[in-house]
Formats: sequence, C-alpha cells, structure tokens
Amino acid sequence: MNEGPDRMIERVRETLREAPMVAPDQRAVARLLSAVWASPSPSRWRRVFDAWRVPALSGLGAAAVAGVALLVGFVSRGSLTQHSPEGTMVVGGVETPVMLASNTTRDAGDAAAVLTQFVLDDQTARRVSLVGEFNDWEAGNTPLTRLASGLWTVTVPLLPGRHVYAFVLDDRLVVADPRAPKVVDADYGREGSVVMVFAR
Amino acid sequence: MSDTPPTSAIDPTLPLRAKAGDRQAFAQLVDVLYPRSLRFALHMVGNREDAEEAVQDSFIRVYHNLGRFRDDARFEPWLFRILANRCRSLMEKRRRHTALIQYGEIPERYTAPAEVPQRDWTEEVYKILSTLPVEQREAFLLRHVEDMAYEDIAAVTGVGLSALRMRVKRACDVLRARLSEVMHDE
Repeated sequence: MNEGPDRMIERVRETLREAPMVAPDQRAVARLLSAVWASPSPSRWRRVFDAWRVPALSGLGAAAVAGVALLVGFVSRGSLTQHSPEGTMVVGGVETPVMLASNTTRDAGDAAAVLTQFVLDDQTARRVSLVGEFNDWEAGNTPLTRLASGLWTVTVPLLPGRHVYAFVLDDRLVVADPRAPKVVDADYGREGSVVMVFAR
Repeated sequence: MSDTPPTSAIDPTLPLRAKAGDRQAFAQLVDVLYPRSLRFALHMVGNREDAEEAVQDSFIRVYHNLGRFRDDARFEPWLFRILANRCRSLMEKRRRHTALIQYGEIPERYTAPAEVPQRDWTEEVYKILSTLPVEQREAFLLRHVEDMAYEDIAAVTGVGLSALRMRVKRACDVLRARLSEVMHDE
C-alpha cells in the first residue's frame, strides 16, 4: 500500500492541523488543570473499575472485576460474552469452559481490553478459526478449541468499540456468526458479524 | 511517510515526575499535549463541547491512574488510547451528527490552494472528514494529523496493522476523490 508523496493528502493534513479552535490557549489549560486538581480521588471501588477500564500495567484488575462479574452472573448467556479467562459460562444450556486464545498476552497493551468469548456450534467442522479486524483477518492466528459438547470456543482480548469478525471453517469456508448481527466489513468489504465491546 | 515513531515532543521524564506526585510536571504534560488532544477529539466528535469534555475527562483519568503508568512505556499512546475510548463512548452516547463541524472562523493565516477558495476547501475537508466511518476517521487522524506510527495506532485502537493501513488508505481515497470533485466544480 503506497502512501508516497501525495499533495492533496498533505494539504488535508495541513488543514486539519491548523484547526483554529485548538491553538495554544493558556486559559483552557488552566481551566482543565483546575478541573483535574478539583476532581475527587476515585473511591476504592472506582479504582478497581478503572484498573479494568483504563489502559495500564496488568490485567489483574480486569481479571478480578471480571471474575466478580462472573460469580454474580453478570455474564451468563449468548454467543458473545465478556469475562474472566478462568471459569466457565453457560452457552445454550451447556456449561462451557473459557479458552483463552493461545496468542493472548497480558502486557500493558492488553490491560484495557475486555476478554470476549466467541462460541460457534458446528458439529461438522474439523477446524475453526476466528478472523476479524483485530487479527487482520488471518485465519491461522486465532484457532477455536472444540469442547466435548461439540461447541467451538475461544476468548480474546478486545478493546472497547465495534469489531467485525467471522469464523473460518476448515481453512476454506468463511461464515458469519449465526447469533450476531451481520455487517460488511468497512476495511475489506467482507461480510461478517459485529460485536460491540463495552468497557463498562 | 515511514513507520518510524515520530520524535516525541514531550520530555520523557515528565510522566515519571508526574507519577511521583510532581504537579508541575503534570501541568507541563497538559500544556504540551492539550492542543493535540483537543484537535484529535474535535475532529473525532465534531463539536467543541464534547471534544472538551472528552479531553478533560481523559486527563482526569490519566491523573488518577498515573500510578499504574509503566516507567518504560510511552505516554502519548496511553493518553490517546484513553482519549480515543472516551471519544467513541461520547459519540455512542450522544449519537449526534452534524453535517459541518463547528470549528468557528477559518484562520486568515491559512494559505489557500491557488485553485480553490480557502473557505470552500477547508469546509469541504471538515465535511468529508465528518462523513468518514469513525474507524477510518480515527485511523486517518492518528496517522496523518497526529503523525503516529502504525504500531502506536494499533496500541490505541486494538486493530491489526494491515487493517489499519487499509483504513487509512480508504480514508485517503475518499478524501482524494471527493476533494477532486470539489476542485473540478470550482
């Protein structure tokens, strides 16, 4: 993809950089700082939630909150849910272990992500992979694990926002999630399913 | 444009000093990064009120979470990640679309392209930008206006490099095509 010299895009860039309302404004900075200094320090529970919601160092906060959510039944149904990698969920009445994607890491970049489980009920496929904008639609990146129940599942960390995804069956057939809304991916024009991930 | 991260405008010791409780250091961070943050938020959400709210809320969250900022991490992607999340949340919450972004008066110091009247050009750029899908707008702004490396944009958005490049390309294609039409109409 060539992004080489492009006078028109350069002019767009110059135009947007010159947005008149964002010139240095000491009064605005002072107002913002006043708001920061005056903002109450978050409560203990707020800090726990922020540990889950604000990008930071570790996923421990996320796991802790998600674990609590799991215990109280906050996440309990659907083909897509968000919760701790440790534990189980009920999908279609079947107790289903959460399988964290093998390439999942828990570094700073993942701390703001919400663990999101994908489940597909397909009794005939021999291999199933998850593809989407989050893994550049590479079928080999995120394989699903087949459970004894016949369900395929994988759990991946996704940042809050809208994500388009699909399943690849036996490395050749791309199918949308039958339980999720269908959309056409804006990047590649592929048909897929959409999931909204919320930080809270 | 290479994928090399741009030289950061901020003193790398500032986040560490702010983390250690130095309010002056945090104030300097705000001073340096406020204009860029507001510009990004303004281009994203399309109105000043929401943009200021997003920026203020982001800096408050950053301030109260400085203790969790990793010493060897880079501050700007962290801030922009929080800010981008806040912008997305606000857009989702408001679901308020404006045909023309409320940028106020066009600055006279802007040098207009010879073939297009300045005001028309600038307004068209804002207008087309506001019609781009939010994912493309976000990727384009981070890449071409904020000069972020794709690796940093991936950290901000959680999207793969290839998809990000595609988003930026799509945004450029739309801007080129629609602005060409405007220029031909003149």
